[in-house]
Formats: sequence, C-alpha cells, structure tokens
Amino acid sequence: MSQHRLERSEQKLAMLLLIPSFLVIFLIAFYPLGSVFVTSFTNRTFASSVETETVGFDNYRKLLSLKIMKLEPIFDPDTGLQAIDDFSGEPAYQDPIDLLPRDPFRYKPLREFDLFGTRYVYAATDPKFIQSIEDTLFFTLTSVILETIFGMMIALIMIKNFPGRGGLRVAMLVPWAIPTAVSSRMWEWMFASTRVGVFNVIAQWMGYTDGQFPFLTDASTQIWAMIAIDVWKTTPFMALLLMAGLQTIPMEVYEAAYIDGCGAIRRFTKITMPLVKHTLLVALVFRTLDALRVFDLFQIVFAQKRYSMASFSYYQLIDNKMMGYSSAASVVIFFIILFFILLYTKISGGIQND
Amino acid sequence: MRTTKVLALCLVLLLAGTFSITAGGQQEAEEAGPITLTVAAGAVGQELVLAKEAATAYMSMNPDVEVIVLETPDLTTDRLGLYLQYFEAQSGVVDIYQIDVIWPGDIAEHLVDLNQYGAASVAADHFPAIIENNTVDGKLVAMPWFTDAGLLYYRADLMEKYGFSEPPATWDDLEMIAEKVQAGERAAGNQDFWGFVWQGNSYEGLTCDALEWVVSMGGGNIVEPDGEITINNPKAAKALDMAAGWVGTISPEGVTGFGEEDARNMFQAGNAMFMRNWPYAYSLGNAPDSAISGKFDVVPLPAGDSGRGAAALGGWQLAASKYSENVEEAVDLLMYMTSYEEQKRRAIVGSYNPTIKGLYSDAEVLEATPFFGSLYDVFVNAAARPSTVTAPNYAEASKIFFSNAHDVLTGKQSGAVAVRNMALDIEDLIK
Repeated sequence: MSQHRLERSEQKLAMLLLIPSFLVIFLIAFYPLGSVFVTSFTNRTFASSVETETVGFDNYRKLLSLKIMKLEPIFDPDTGLQAIDDFSGEPAYQDPIDLLPRDPFRYKPLREFDLFGTRYVYAATDPKFIQSIEDTLFFTLTSVILETIFGMMIALIMIKNFPGRGGLRVAMLVPWAIPTAVSSRMWEWMFASTRVGVFNVIAQWMGYTDGQFPFLTDASTQIWAMIAIDVWKTTPFMALLLMAGLQTIPMEVYEAAYIDGCGAIRRFTKITMPLVKHTLLVALVFRTLDALRVFDLFQIVFAQKRYSMASFSYYQLIDNKMMGYSSAASVVIFFIILFFILLYTKISGGIQND
Repeated sequence: MRTTKVLALCLVLLLAGTFSITAGGQQEAEEAGPITLTVAAGAVGQELVLAKEAATAYMSMNPDVEVIVLETPDLTTDRLGLYLQYFEAQSGVVDIYQIDVIWPGDIAEHLVDLNQYGAASVAADHFPAIIENNTVDGKLVAMPWFTDAGLLYYRADLMEKYGFSEPPATWDDLEMIAEKVQAGERAAGNQDFWGFVWQGNSYEGLTCDALEWVVSMGGGNIVEPDGEITINNPKAAKALDMAAGWVGTISPEGVTGFGEEDARNMFQAGNAMFMRNWPYAYSLGNAPDSAISGKFDVVPLPAGDSGRGAAALGGWQLAASKYSENVEEAVDLLMYMTSYEEQKRRAIVGSYNPTIKGLYSDAEVLEATPFFGSLYDVFVNAAARPSTVTAPNYAEASKIFFSNAHDVLTGKQSGAVAVRNMALDIEDLIK
C-alpha cells in the first residue's frame, strides 16, 4: 500500500518535472505549427493591412483539385481523317481549355497522355503545385538512391587502411562543407547554356550538342541537373554516416568468414549489409527528409522557373503575398513528410522485431 | 551532487550573460553618436559603386550621419521578396529602399509621404508620368531616381563589315541582318557568335521584353488602363511566336535563362550582333576593358506590324520606410540622392537616365551619353506595364504573363494557347 502511494507521488513529481520540457516543446514546435494550420484556413495577405477572412477549405481545394478527362479527336471535315495540329505536328484533339470546368476554380491542363488509344488530359487547379510535388518526390527518390550507392562505395574504400587515408577523408568532405548557396552558383556556372559552361564543352566534345544546350531551362534536364548538384554535395555526408556504421563491425567476423572460404560479394551481402542496416536506415531517414524539404538549391538555380515544394510555398508567401495559400501548401508538405516518417518508423520497427 | 554543481554553473553563466547584454544596451543608448542610415540599393552594372559614391559624398557633407549601402538581389522578383520580409516585420533596419517603377501601388502603405517633407516643390522638375506613377492616394511615396526604357544595341562595326547602312527599323530587318552576320562571324571562326540577345528568363524582365514585342505588333497592353483584359488576340500571339522563332536560330537556346547581365556579358564580350537592354549597358560597353568599346550604337527597338516600335518603361525610385527610426534624416538623404547634381553625375558616369527634364538638355550629360538627346521621345513615350490597373496583384499578373510567354519560348505551348491562358488567368486574378 505504501509502495503504491510512493509510486503515485513519484509519478506526480515526474509530471511536474516534465512540465518545463512540454512548455518548451509547445512554444517552439506546436505554437508555430498551429498558427500555420490556422492561417491555412484564411486568405491572410503578407506584409499588408488587408483584412483577413476565414475561407474554410478553399485554399486546399485550389491546391489539390485534380481531374482526368477524356479528349475527343478532331476530324478534318474534308478528308474525314483526324486533323493534324499545326503547332505540334501530331494528331489533333479537343482543346482541354474549353473542356475543363472553371468553377469555382479553373482547371488547367498539366499534361496529356494516351491510354488504350484514347487521349486524356490530366488537369489541376494549381498545376505548378502538383508539378512541384512530383518533381520533389522524383528528386528525393533518385538523389537518395544515388547518394546511398555512391556513399556506400566510398565508405567501403575509406575504411580500408592505405597511405594518405587521412588526407583523402578530409578531401572527401569538401563538397559537403561548401554552403549550398555557393555550390549552387558554382554548378549554375558549370551548367551555363553557352560554352562558358564546362558541361556544354564536354557535351560538344563528345558530339551530343553544339555547345549551346540550355541544361537549366530545358524541362528534360532541369531536375537531373538538380540531382547532380545534390548527389555531389551530399554523398560525403552519406559516406561519413556509413563509415561510422562500418567501423563498428569487428574485423574478427570478416577474418572468420575469410578462413571459411567466403568470397568478397558474400562477405558484403551476408556480413556487412546486415550489420550496417541500422546505420543505413538512420542515414536514409536523414537524407529523405532533407531532400523532401529541398529549398535553397531550387530557389537559387531556378527562382520562378520550376519549384520544389518548399520553394513553391516560399513564392506564394513572399512574392505573391498569399500567406493563407502558402500556409495551406506548407501543411500539405507537412503531411507528405509525415507520411515518409511513418513509413520509415514502420520499416525500422520491422527490423527491430527480427 | 555533480549535476547540481553543473546546473548552478549554468545559471551563473546565464545571469552573467543577461547582465552583460543589458549593460551593452545601456552603453549603446548613452553614446548618442552618429545616426546610421541604411540604403537598400541594386547591384546591376555600376549601381552599387555609384550608390556608395553618393553615400560617401553625403557623409562628407553631413559628418554626423553614417550611410550604409546594402546590396540587394539582381532579380527584381527576389528583391521585392526581401523588402516584403522587412515590411512584414515592420523593421527599421533599412531606411531607404530602391523600388521598381511597378511597386508603388503594392507597397505604398509602408512608405513615407514625401509631400509632407517638402518634396512637392522638387517633384515638378521630374517627368510628370513617373511622379503620377509614384503618387498613391494623393501621397508621393517615392522620388524618381532614374528612368529606363528598352533599347536596341547594335554593332556598328559589323553593320559596316556586312554592308548594311541602316540599323534595323523592323523586326524582319533585324532577323535578316542577324542571320547574315551570325553566319558570317561563325564562318570567320567565332563559334560562340549570336545574332540577337535579350532577356528570356522566367522573371519580370521577360514581362518587359514580351510587352515590347506585343505592343510593337499592335497587340495591346495586356490589361488596358480601364481594366479591360486585351492580351487574347492574334497579334499578341504572333508577337510571342515571332520571339519563339528566334530561340535557337538567331538567339542562343540559353536565352530562355538570360537576365540583363547575361545578355550584356555576351554582347560586351563581342559575341552578339544585337542586344535588347536598358540604357545602363551603354557606358559599360564603352569602358576601356570592354571588347566592343566604341564599336556599337543604340537605336529605338524595331517596329512590328503596328508600324511603331515600343520600349517598356522601367526605372527605379527611392522611397523612405515608415518604420525608419530617423525618418527626417532619411528623407534628407533620399532628396540628396535624387537631386539634380546627383542624377547628373549618374548620367555622366553610369549612363543612368535622369528623371529631371532639364538634364536632357545639359551639355555635359549629352556629351557623355549622346543618345539621351536623340532618344528623348523613347523615354517620354515608353510603354508602362499594367501595374496600376492590376494593383495590388501586379506581381501575380506579371508572373502569369511571363511564365506563359516563357512556355512559348521553350516550345511548350503556341502563342495562341499562351495568350488565351494569360487572359483566363488574369481574369481569375483581378475580376
């Protein structure tokens, strides 16, 4: 009985002692987050004395409404065959601008695609935002995979003993140590659309272009340029984390495997991978969340040409002054990132249960 | 026990820190030393140097004032973003802002009414159109600093070399000359030579360039002063298609990523026949280190189907922040920086167009920049962007215009589709 009371009073004390931490967390995390949530339901204008009104879910509806509609082919009245579009030189279909609904928000075509011989249009009320989500997800997936592969390769080499290892380890970290603002400008220069840029010189030398290819304005290369910069910059970070993980594996395990006649590939898949798995997972979580929030790279190199999710939200807030709309975009980004956190928690939980 | 000691130590340090901060604060308040004024100025071309020189001159006249010139981003869109962050925080960090001709309507509520500080008497000396532009609800929120209009720069030496006597009067002439010179120069060994460079990046500068094409073709002013949205017409579509046709032929593919400075760098290195740019490029092009010094000249932009050429009205103003701690001193500095003498110095050293009418007949100014006299009409009749009629949504209206135009330049849509999208989007925005 007395023990019971003691337990309870200790619990009380624990709660009491936790209050300051809760207070701090509330102030620095929940309050700002909550105010973004609240603002996202208004039409608040940034840096202005314009009256703010509550608009319900309008911001979200405008951000996220998607529609897929079928386009009818256009026939040439003279020949009875499908007409040819003057601009693209391809078979003509109905103009999606006429077809798409305009109330309460106008749907704008994002892209057209064919499925089983029928043409469809994929439209959104804010195609730039949907595009920014697609771009950011593609950027995250590709860059994180590449960084993991290269990072692992570098880490495996760097843990070996060889002369000059110390110096090489320092050199390896240089790209990561350069501020993104500086390295983005540096790469922007290398990607220059004339032969000022080293990539154009190389591409011309290899016979791919005439030395005037606009890597940063051509839609097909834009995201790949971003991925190249990010992989260059962040692979060292990945390698560093993985190196720390690899160093915890005792050498004796490898020696035993070697004596038992285990080949290099089997040693990697059966010993290295399982033992470095936890470190790898932590590194992946770090990088994925970081890549999803990418802002500086896109803002510096692309400005208004193409957005990441974060630079879209920044544009809406700062340049467009639509604080409510920008907050709603931020909330959507928050949920996308939350989804990835939950996904990783689920995966890591699975590993721990092994 | 040890934890308690550590905690106690932390507490002591914290208290000591607080004390030193308070003490520092008091000290600062006691020395009522020189007033510091911060000017947020641009850094395109010689802007920064000229602003710093003006600051130094002002400080030598007013020893009790310290003037700091703050460098701001080159892209106008980025610069507005920076300013708005100061305004939202009602920050007094910056006292004087260099603001674009399109912003007064949008940010007037954060700016000081200069008429209350005796600016009205000076305002009459400036171009009335710009003073009107800077007057919001009867308040003069900014003093004109320099005006700008789009001009066509051309290489006079190459015109002669290829047997052309007159600079191009129409876009067709320009295309024809550019093609011939580009082919010739490339055959002569300069693989990086292009016919025509301009501002094609997806930003405010493209709004200016594209407005010039559209107006010269007779396609209207995007949104007319009475609020009618006129951009959806075949002439405007044709203008955009015409420019898209230059990309990859007489202009580099990369022109769709060019701002003012990219175009100038290429032209000044001797790698372009024609350039569309603002007047500031004139004195830089004639600098001793320029590859084309003395080899180029300036004319109005070519005419399109309307029979007339059009120049977009640009230019920058100086405005005092309402949140400044020394409004009176800030206005005094602002009036100095926009004064007759200072604008004259800037016109001579940097070929920045004065906004004071009298300077266009000043002998010293005309000697330094002869085209100020011959192109006076271009500056007075420049086409204004529809910033007043779309205020306070001009930034978004312009973004709709330039991003759709950019999509035409990069081949994502045709001019006809683009002008339709522009009209629909602008209607959604301002209706």
